[in-house]
Amino acid sequence: MPPLSAPALDCFSPSPPRSGKLVSVPTGVALLEATGLRKSYGSHLVLDGVSLAVSAGEIVGLLGPNGAGKTTTLSLLATLIEPDSGTVRIAGAIPSRRHRALRRRLGFVPQAIALYPSLSGFRNLELFARLHGISRLKARSESMRVLEEVGLAERAHDPVAVLSGGMQRRLNLACGLVHRPDLLLLDEPTVGVDPQSREQILQTVRRAAEAGAAVVFSTHYMEEVERICGRALLIDRGKAVAAGTIAELIALGGGLPLMELTFQDPAPPAWCDGLAGITQVAAPRNHGKIALQLESFALVSSILERARAAGAHVLEFHVHSPNLSDAFIALTGHALRDPIASSH
Amino acid sequence: MLRTIALTFLNEFRLLVQDRVGLFMLLLAPLVIIAVAGFSLGNLYGARMTAHTYTLPLVDDDHGAVARAIAAALADESAVTVVRVANLDRARVIVSDRDRAPLAIVIPAGTTADLAAGRDAHILLYVDPIKRLEISAIEFRIADLCRRVTAGAQAEVRARLADGSADLRARLSRISADLEALHSGIADYQRQLTNARSSAEGQLQTQIRRQMRSTIDALRAQTQAAVQRSVEQARATITSQLAARRDAISAVTIYLVALQASERDFDRWFTALKAAAGSHAGAIPPPPAFPPPPTPAALAELAKPIDLAFTAPPIPIPAASNAVPAGAITIKLPPPPPALPVPQLRADLEALAPPALPVIPGTLGWTERPVSGANANVNSFDQYVPGFGITFLLIGMLLGISLGLIDERDWGTLARLRVSGAPLSGTLIGKLLARFVVGLLQMVVLFAIGYALFGVSLGRSPAMLLMPAAAISFAAAAFGLIIACVARTHDSVMPFGTVVAMTMSAIGGCWWPLDFEPWWMRDFAQFLPTTWTMLAFNNLMIRDLPPISALWPSLATITLGIVFLAVGLFGASRLYD
Repeated sequence: MPPLSAPALDCFSPSPPRSGKLVSVPTGVALLEATGLRKSYGSHLVLDGVSLAVSAGEIVGLLGPNGAGKTTTLSLLATLIEPDSGTVRIAGAIPSRRHRALRRRLGFVPQAIALYPSLSGFRNLELFARLHGISRLKARSESMRVLEEVGLAERAHDPVAVLSGGMQRRLNLACGLVHRPDLLLLDEPTVGVDPQSREQILQTVRRAAEAGAAVVFSTHYMEEVERICGRALLIDRGKAVAAGTIAELIALGGGLPLMELTFQDPAPPAWCDGLAGITQVAAPRNHGKIALQLESFALVSSILERARAAGAHVLEFHVHSPNLSDAFIALTGHALRDPIASSH
Repeated sequence: MLRTIALTFLNEFRLLVQDRVGLFMLLLAPLVIIAVAGFSLGNLYGARMTAHTYTLPLVDDDHGAVARAIAAALADESAVTVVRVANLDRARVIVSDRDRAPLAIVIPAGTTADLAAGRDAHILLYVDPIKRLEISAIEFRIADLCRRVTAGAQAEVRARLADGSADLRARLSRISADLEALHSGIADYQRQLTNARSSAEGQLQTQIRRQMRSTIDALRAQTQAAVQRSVEQARATITSQLAARRDAISAVTIYLVALQASERDFDRWFTALKAAAGSHAGAIPPPPAFPPPPTPAALAELAKPIDLAFTAPPIPIPAASNAVPAGAITIKLPPPPPALPVPQLRADLEALAPPALPVIPGTLGWTERPVSGANANVNSFDQYVPGFGITFLLIGMLLGISLGLIDERDWGTLARLRVSGAPLSGTLIGKLLARFVVGLLQMVVLFAIGYALFGVSLGRSPAMLLMPAAAISFAAAAFGLIIACVARTHDSVMPFGTVVAMTMSAIGGCWWPLDFEPWWMRDFAQFLPTTWTMLAFNNLMIRDLPPISALWPSLATITLGIVFLAVGLFGASRLYD
């Protein structure tokens, strides 16, 4: 099977919200709409024509490896930086730095732990709530609410610095939610957290969406996207390579099981020639890794047999059902967690 | 172990090389501080002052020679420009308003008269206590000037004394000569008198002797004649008496001769008798009878004493013996005394009457007084409490604000704040405001401690100290924003901010009085808020000026702070927004 080509992206239109309510954005209307975003730093093109639309109550995944341009995209969406070209519209309006009311509808959770380490979680939340225009009393109640939501109510008054990494991540998320934003921008909110915290974060995000928030969820963990996102945008090297629902994206990867093999040494050339029902979807990469698309799980034993016959020593292999990662590999030729080449 | 040490050693160097800002600051920071301190304190070690001149207001209340001498001497000083002013108030204004007027000179009325009368006099130097180095430099000149004026006046008197002394010496010489001549004349006269006396004595003795001899001779002749006559008379008397006696004696003699013959006859007879009488001699008859003795009358005559008593005829005394005949004795008088220089001597002596001695002029000195009426002896803590307070305020501000901003950027809270719709300027101003309050409190506490521990002066109105404190807190906070824009990493903020803070403090007069610095550095210092703030503090604390004196410096600081704030906000908006 030949590698899949990049699909057309102009079909990436918002889908109806699953639940929740929006005050100013009618249901089914994109709360966030970004088109043709382009950003470069000097001669280095970081983002090249990325478009995105998110409706209220919808979680859209922004999936790509490290350095793909996810954070830049989110920064553009959060109006932290200006695009070289392209537009961002929130609730139909182009946000500007002076458009304070519009920006207050944004909830931004940066990849870094954007908290004051010496202040307690409660104080951090109260501050950000108040900066979003919430009164003191409401800010306090909302802070406690969101602390409960992320499971940190008991540690509300502990300084951030003494919290664990997972707790800090949760608190980081809470700060983006404390003012009940209409648009929530999450930049890899689960990086480096324990499974328990990750689960709590994902649940919290899901609840926010259920409450009506439009969520952009940036990650390089495809399983997180598969779990909570209705749609996703695959991004690689500054370019959107695919967009659509999860199922559509998986389908873009061929919809067939994928087998990843790791050889001790580079596999001998043409070692699997003649085997029917397999397609190499990615060229052999470093560490002797290759990925094969299988027409059937039954081919696994034949492949291993052929490898042994060719004198290739297989260190490990994985076989799994088709997923976003496979689609990404199929579309880009490299895995989601592969480091971006230095040329990027 | 050794391998670990070696690898760690090499790795540390790799890390150092990577930290280029830190490495750069390792050299730049000390170089900057060395340069600032070196240029600032160079004057203390005798570095040449620049060509700028000091302005010295001069109040001449004396209008005498001393004032003229001082003015003329100061006019010759290339580093001094004398501005004559009418009164002390005007002089105070000049000293207070001009950087290059460290003191005012007031020559009090009567200075010349006092000096001329031999009393010590003092010119008054109304100093700005802050400009100590300049004051010392000027005072050094003025001290020299006072010495010169005093020395000039005293030299003049010495000259007059020398003239008087020479005249006196001449007079004394003349008197001495007069006395010498007098002495010589007297000695001559004495010799003449001695000679005259000796001559007179000789002549007198000769004449007396001669006169005595002639008198004696005459007396002797007269006496001899009288004696002769008496002797003759006595002889005649005696002769007559002796003739009677001779007669008596002749009778006796005859008798005695007869007796003697009878005795001899008797003897012979008797002898013959006795011889004849042989055995009958006994029977010899009595001897024959002797002639009778002279009569008693004859014997009485013999026994009768010769009457030697005769009345001596008076010895005639020659009349010449009673008186020296006139012209008998003549004595040659000595020559008249020589003409002694007594009138000249008298005149000279009268001229020697103590002349009106010139009065030795008094000493001209100077007295230092604070121009503002404050204590001229500055409490060093009045300089160092605000000075180092500002320094550490700056360090705290520059590092705190810039590091805080960098931290917020690195943490991501700045992005979060921006996403919240909060304007960056509002966020920054909020941060600066907090630091401003902290800085203000820091200064208040420092002044309170300085007052309690070191006795710093709080001026006439302690509350007024808040104005410059607030101004520098504001300016420092604003400058911290600029630092945050220039130094964008922790590694660069620390050395850069510290060096900037220390440099601003040093040049701005926080560490030492501004007048220690060369002029070019002082000119540069006008663009630093530290300079104006220290001026305000100095006005209030050291110069003890009214509270209004801190207003303009504080406004200058605030103006600089506004400029810093505008630049900082512009830079921050470019970097962080």
